[in-house]
Amino acid sequence: MEKFQPYTVLAVDDNLLNLKMIEKSLSREGYQIFIAGNGSEGRTIAREKHPDLILLDIEMPGENGFEVIRKLKEDAVTNPIPVIFLTGISDVNAKLKGFDLGAVDYITKPFHPLEVLARVRIHLKLSIATNSLIQNQAAKLLQVAQAQSAMLPVPENYPAARFGVYYKALQEAGGDFYDILNISDHITGYFVADFSGHDIKTSYLTASVKALLAQNCTPLYSPRESMKMVNAVLKEILPESKYLTACYMHMNRSTRTMTIVNAGHPPAACLPVQGDAYLVTSQGDVLGMFSDAHFGVSRIKVSKGDRFFVYSDGLVESVGKKINWSAGAGRLLPVFNDLRSFSFADAPGQLIRYLSAENNSPEDDVVVLCIEV
Amino acid sequence: MDYKHLADQLDMDETEFLELVALFVDTTRTDLKKIRQGVSCGDFSRAAAAAHSIKGAAGNLGFTRMADLARKMETAANGASFENFDAYITDLETRVDALIPT
Repeated sequence: MEKFQPYTVLAVDDNLLNLKMIEKSLSREGYQIFIAGNGSEGRTIAREKHPDLILLDIEMPGENGFEVIRKLKEDAVTNPIPVIFLTGISDVNAKLKGFDLGAVDYITKPFHPLEVLARVRIHLKLSIATNSLIQNQAAKLLQVAQAQSAMLPVPENYPAARFGVYYKALQEAGGDFYDILNISDHITGYFVADFSGHDIKTSYLTASVKALLAQNCTPLYSPRESMKMVNAVLKEILPESKYLTACYMHMNRSTRTMTIVNAGHPPAACLPVQGDAYLVTSQGDVLGMFSDAHFGVSRIKVSKGDRFFVYSDGLVESVGKKINWSAGAGRLLPVFNDLRSFSFADAPGQLIRYLSAENNSPEDDVVVLCIEV
Repeated sequence: MDYKHLADQLDMDETEFLELVALFVDTTRTDLKKIRQGVSCGDFSRAAAAAHSIKGAAGNLGFTRMADLARKMETAANGASFENFDAYITDLETRVDALIPT
């Protein structure tokens, strides 16, 4: 049978009688009590035993209750433990100071054991409810992350698209997104985007964008027209100040043409079979912000074996090192050249390994696609 | 002293309550010593802290007269005065001695 774990309460008071009263009245109700005769001893016990709740006297010789709670709240180990002050002080300012420092309640001395019990019970219940709320939210975010990653196509399901991918969200609900679109037997669309913000709204929006792409990336529309249509709808549905940067690559294997539409996104890189890697720079407005957005379009004649790398800004930007897109992307060109020896499927992972080895691990969400003609 | 009644007030049985009374007698005697030391060397804060301790403990056990005496001493000492302390201390000692169960 599983052993019952009692709730634990730490009482800190310089008066032994008060401690004994608390100990007697709470232990007979099934609580396990730790007692400390001064603030410093109380903090040590709090760190070691991690009680469910602390009853803390304010007026004590040495460290007073205010100093003790300040230190408890500064310490990550003891910070979450609810603290109730025991005090003979009735001054409202002193009470407010205690709440400011993180106390959850006061018990005024002289106290009645049943009042102590009642307040301990209610604050333990509150603490349990809060913790369970946090765990529920974390679990929900995890579900969102799972749903989000289920929306991301895996290369094995799109053999004709000939692409490799590396995708990593730093938080449960990531801001990066990519999709592969089978437009016809010989035309494939590749879409990489980065939402502003990483909140939960973002992850729900990825489903809308995926649906919009399926509706608008068809043989009926040119790549630029497809993005215009997607932009017009996003402008209507996105919350204010929310937008996405995107790169849409339209590969026609029949005409051997790669059309790249840039919407405020870092430049894609082309690695021709013959020659060095170069950036496909074309400026464009972000998606979902302006109804009359302009998108930069580049058309490139391709040969069998040419590769393209498209990625989110997390790969090339570093806030810590103050590196922006353009500088970051330029520095990657020699790396793309070096990746020729790897298959297109392995290239994105190798790129990340290379950056990590160079101590340039991505600081944000990151997605990298390598596409081979 | 009606210990049974005081114990009932605190939702305790009499035996438990008497254990606390014995502890109160010990801690209060120690605190009274600290008050005397404070008076003899003019240390108001030491006396005030000890009086504060007696006040809280006596109040918790329902010894209201003793809590009141301790409160008067704490207030006086915080105001840098030891006026009437001899009388207060004697009164408190008498009451503490009377608590010891025969």
